[in-house]
Amino acid sequence: MTSVSPRTAGGSRRERREWLLFAALIGPNLALFAIFTYWPLLYNLYLSFVRWNFLRPRKPFVWLDNYIEVFTDTQFWIIALNTLTFTVCSVGLTLLIGLALALLINQPLRYRNAARAVLFSPVIMSGAVVAVVWSYIFDPRYGLLDQILGFVGASSPDWLGDPRWAMPAVILVYVWKNVGYAVVIYLAGLQGIPRELYDAARVDGAGAVDRFWHVTLPGLSPVAFFLSVTSLLACFQSFDIVKVLTDGGPAIATTTLIYHLYDLGFVSYDAGKAGVMAMVLFGVMLALTVIQLRYVEERVAYA
Amino acid sequence: MENTTKLTRRQMLRGMIASGGVAILAACGAAPAAPAAPAATDAPAAAAPTSAPAVAAAPSATTITYWGSFSGGLGEAEAAMVKAFNESQSEVQVEYQFQGSYEETAQKFTAALQANTIPDVVLLSDVWWFSFYTAGAIAPLDDLASQVKLDFSDYEPVLLDEGVRQGKHYWVPFARSTPLFYYNKQIWQEAGLPDRSPDTWAEMADWATKLVKKDGDTISQAAFAHPNGASYIAWLFQGVVWQFNGQYSNPDFTMTMTDPNTLRAAQFYQDTVNKDKWAILSQDVNKDFTGGITASTMASTGGLAGIQKAAAFPVGVGFLPKADSFGCPTGGSGLAIPTSTPDDKKLAAMKYIAFATSTESAGVWARSTGYMPVRLSTKETPEMVTFFDENPNFKTVVDQLPLTRAQDAARVFVRNGDQIIGKGLERIIVNGESPDAVFADVNAELTKGAAPILEDLKAIEAGACAGLRRSGLRRRRRWRCR
Amino acid sequence: MALGEELQIAQPVERAGLKKKIISPARLAGYLAMAVAVLVVGLPVYWTVAASFKEAREIYSIPPTWVPLRPTLANYPAAWAAAPFARYYLNSFITTLGGAACEVTMAITSAYALAYLRFPRKDLVFLLLLAALMVPVEITIVPNYLTIARLGWINSYQGIIIPGAAIAYGTFLLRQAFLGLPYEVIEAARVDGAGHLRTLWAVVMPMAQPAIVTMALLSLVAKWNDFLWPLIVTNTSDMRTLPIGIYWLRNSEGLTDWGVVMAGSLFLILPVMVAFLFAQKYIVEGIASGAVKG
Repeated sequence: MTSVSPRTAGGSRRERREWLLFAALIGPNLALFAIFTYWPLLYNLYLSFVRWNFLRPRKPFVWLDNYIEVFTDTQFWIIALNTLTFTVCSVGLTLLIGLALALLINQPLRYRNAARAVLFSPVIMSGAVVAVVWSYIFDPRYGLLDQILGFVGASSPDWLGDPRWAMPAVILVYVWKNVGYAVVIYLAGLQGIPRELYDAARVDGAGAVDRFWHVTLPGLSPVAFFLSVTSLLACFQSFDIVKVLTDGGPAIATTTLIYHLYDLGFVSYDAGKAGVMAMVLFGVMLALTVIQLRYVEERVAYA
Repeated sequence: MENTTKLTRRQMLRGMIASGGVAILAACGAAPAAPAAPAATDAPAAAAPTSAPAVAAAPSATTITYWGSFSGGLGEAEAAMVKAFNESQSEVQVEYQFQGSYEETAQKFTAALQANTIPDVVLLSDVWWFSFYTAGAIAPLDDLASQVKLDFSDYEPVLLDEGVRQGKHYWVPFARSTPLFYYNKQIWQEAGLPDRSPDTWAEMADWATKLVKKDGDTISQAAFAHPNGASYIAWLFQGVVWQFNGQYSNPDFTMTMTDPNTLRAAQFYQDTVNKDKWAILSQDVNKDFTGGITASTMASTGGLAGIQKAAAFPVGVGFLPKADSFGCPTGGSGLAIPTSTPDDKKLAAMKYIAFATSTESAGVWARSTGYMPVRLSTKETPEMVTFFDENPNFKTVVDQLPLTRAQDAARVFVRNGDQIIGKGLERIIVNGESPDAVFADVNAELTKGAAPILEDLKAIEAGACAGLRRSGLRRRRRWRCR
Repeated sequence: MALGEELQIAQPVERAGLKKKIISPARLAGYLAMAVAVLVVGLPVYWTVAASFKEAREIYSIPPTWVPLRPTLANYPAAWAAAPFARYYLNSFITTLGGAACEVTMAITSAYALAYLRFPRKDLVFLLLLAALMVPVEITIVPNYLTIARLGWINSYQGIIIPGAAIAYGTFLLRQAFLGLPYEVIEAARVDGAGHLRTLWAVVMPMAQPAIVTMALLSLVAKWNDFLWPLIVTNTSDMRTLPIGIYWLRNSEGLTDWGVVMAGSLFLILPVMVAFLFAQKYIVEGIASGAVKG
C-alpha cells in the first residue's frame, strides 16, 4: 500500500486514495440516510405545501394554507402545551429520581449491582409492551395501582379515562421505563469525580451537605447536561407509550406533537398538515440540538 | 430484477440530489398514481415465503389475497370460511391476510394503493368503503356478479343498498351488524327489574337508580357504559341522535350537528355521565360489561357470540331504547374488489364473495359470530330456524334489522367523520364541555371534510369521463370511466 | 453522610471488624431505600408474571389477588395459539440479527473513517450523519413505504431491515471510542505496512471491543423492540414480528384476556431479559462510558 515515492506527489495521491476509502466506508451509511431519512424529510416539506388525502390523484399546491390551518387551530396549542407538560415533567422527574437513586446505589451496599440491573431493566423493554402491561396495572378495578391505593384507603381514579389523570399516568410510565438509564449515566459520572476533591473538601472542614453541593453536583454537571439533552430528544420523540396506552385520549388529553403527527397522517389522512407537523417536530429537535452544541462549545472554551 | 436495480439507482439519485427541488418531488409524488404493470400486484406475495394453502392448489388455480380485520374468535370463523371455500372447489385459492382493525386495514389499503401492492378482495367498514369509492379505487361488481351468476335480489335490501351508487354495486354486505342493547340478567334480577331491555331512555334512567352502585364518590358498578371514540361511540350515538329526532347531516352533505334535536341527544349523553351519573365512558365496553362493571351497554351484534362466551352471567339483549322515536343504524363491514386488480383475479375474487355471502355461508357466519345473515333466504334454512329457537338472543338481532336504516353521510361518507364526531363526543362527555360549542366545532370540521368528497363525487358520478378526458387525465385514470 | 461519596455509609470492613454484626442505622436505611426502589420498579414486572399464571376469572375478581390462587399454565399455550408466535420469533430473530449486523458494520466502518481518515470538510460529513438523529422515525414512514414498495420489498425481510439499517448514534459512540484509543498503536501498525482495512480489523476493533459490543447490544435491543415500521410494512402473518403479535393480542376484537396478554408480553420481554442478565455489564457500562466521554 505505502509506496516510496516523492513525498509531495505521493502524498496527494495517497490523500486522494484516502478520500476514496473514506467515501467507501461511510458511503453506504450516508446513502441509506439520504434515501430513508433525508428524502422523507424533503418529501414532507413538499407535502406541507399541498392538499392531499393520500388517495386523490392530484395534489394542488396551497402555499401556506396548511401552516395557517395548523397554527390557528386551538387544538394545536393545547397539544403543544401537552407536549411541553409531558416532556418537562417526564425529563425533570427522570433526572431527579435518577439522581437520588444513583446516589443511593453509589454507596457500597451489597447487591447494589443487582439493584442497578433491576432499575435498568425497563429501559430495554419494548415501549409497546410496557404500555400494554401498564394499561392492565392502571385498570381502575382489577389493576395493581388500585390495589396499592386501597392500602392507604384511597380508591383509584380512572387513570386512562379521566382527562385529569391520563397525562400523569403517561408520565409515570415514561419515568418508570427510563429512570434506569439516568441512574446508570449518573453512576458513571459519580465514579468520574476524583476522590481527592472530597478529601480536600473534608480537610477544609466541609460538611456532608456542603460536599454534596460543592463537589458532587458540580462534578456531575456535564453528565447531567448530556442526560438532559438526550432525554429531552428521546422524550420528545416518544410515541409507543402514548399510542398503546391512551391513543392520545381521552379527548386530546395525552396527545403530544408526535402523536398528533401520526393522527393527522394515519387517522385523518391529511398529508399536508402531517407535513407541517413533521416540519414543526424537526424544527424543535434542531433547535434543541443546536442549543446543546452551543453549550458544548462553550464548555470546551472554558476548559 | 433489472427493473429493481434501475429503481434503486433512481431512488438513490433522488435521495442524493437533496436540493433537487419541488419538480422532482412532484414527479415522484405523482408516480404511484400511474397504473403499474400487472405483475406488480403479485409483488408482495412473490417477495415473501407464503404459507401453503390448506389444499394444494391445482396447477391452473388462481390464487388471490384477501385482506380482513378479524382476529380472535371472529378470526377463527373467518379462517374457517376461507378454508371451506378453498376446499369447495379447485379453481380459486384464497389467502386470508389479517391486517388489524378496520382502521388499520383501511390504512394498509390506502398505502397499498399508493404503492400498487393491493389485495384482490378487501374488507372495508361502513365508514371506509365510500372513501375508496370516491377515489375510484374499488370496482363496480355487477358484470362480475352476472358472470358468477350471483343474484343480488336475495340480499337484505337495507344492507345491500348502502353499497350501491348510481345503480351499481360496489360494496357487498358481509359482516354487517347493528347496535344492540345488552344487559346483565343477574344484576337486572337483583335490582328487581323485569327481564327485558328498557323501552325508553326515560325508563332506563328510572331503572338506573337501582343499578348504580357507588363507592364513595366513584361508581363501582355503572348502569350503562358508553364506548370511547376509538371504539366507535359515533356509531352508537347515531341511533340515539335519531331517537331524539336529530341527525348528523342531510343526504346532500349539509351538516346538522347544531340542530337542536342533535344537541338534545348530546346533552342527554353528557347528563348520563356528568349530571345523573349512572353511565360511564369505558375504554372497553365489552370487557366492562362481561366483567360486571356496567349492568348494560350498547354494542355491536357482532360481539354477541364472544360476549355470551365470556360472561359468567346470563346475557340479555333487546332493541335499543326509544326517546322521541326509535332509531338504530346499520354498521359493520362488507367486501370490495380493487379497481386495478387484473380481470382474472377480479373474477376469482367475485367467486369468493359469492361463496362467503351465499345462503349457507351467511348462516354459518351469523351463527358463529352474531353478525346479520345478509341473505333473505338464510333465515328460512332449517339450521337457522333451529338456531333461533335455541338462541333467542340471536333472533332479537334479526328482528331489529327491518327497523334500522343507513347512517348519515357525516359519519360514513366524510373521510374520518366517525372520528371527528367521536372525539367531539369525548370532549362533551369526558371534559364536560358544552354540546353547543363542541358540536359547532364538529360541524365546521365536517363541513370542511365534506368539500373534497363532494368535488370527487361530482367528478366520478356526473360526466366523469368527459371531465377527465378534457384534463388529459383519462389515460392515467382509465379505470374510472369503465 | 455525604451523598455521592463512596465509603460513607459503610465503614471499611477492616476498621469495622469488631462491630461486624451490628449494622449501622445509616446502612440499614440505605438498604431499605434500595429495597423500596427495587420493589417499585420491579412490582409491575412481578404483576405481569403473576397475571400470566392466573385464570381469567381470578384476574377479573375484586379485590385482585397478589399471588395466583390457583396457578395455571394455560395462558401460555393460549397466547401461543392466538397467533403464529413460532413464526413471529423466527422473523424477529432474522430481522433483529440482520438489522443489527447492518448497523454494527456501518457504525464500525463509518466511525473508522471519521476518526482516522482524511477527507475535505469531514466535520460536515459528521454533522450530516448526526443530523439524522433529529428526524423522528414517524415522519419517514409514508415516503419510505412508497420507496420500499417501488423496490418490490413490501412484506419482505429486506423491506423490514433496510430502511432502519443506517446508524447515527452508534457511529457517534464508536467514533468517540476509536478516538480514545492510544494513537501510537495505530500509528505503529500503519508504519508496519498495514493498510487501513487491516488496521481496522486487527488493531482498532480488538482494542475497542467493549464499545463495539455495547453498541451491538443496544442495536439488537432496539431492533427487537421495533414496532411501528414492521407493522406497516408487513401484510402476512408469516412476515410479522413479535411486538406486532402482542399488540394485536391486546387489541383483538372482543375481550381482553389479561392473563393471555401478559403471557404474550413475556414472550417478547424474556429473551431480552435473559440476554441482559448475561450482558448486563457491557450494556450498562458501555452506555455510561459513552455518556461520560461524549
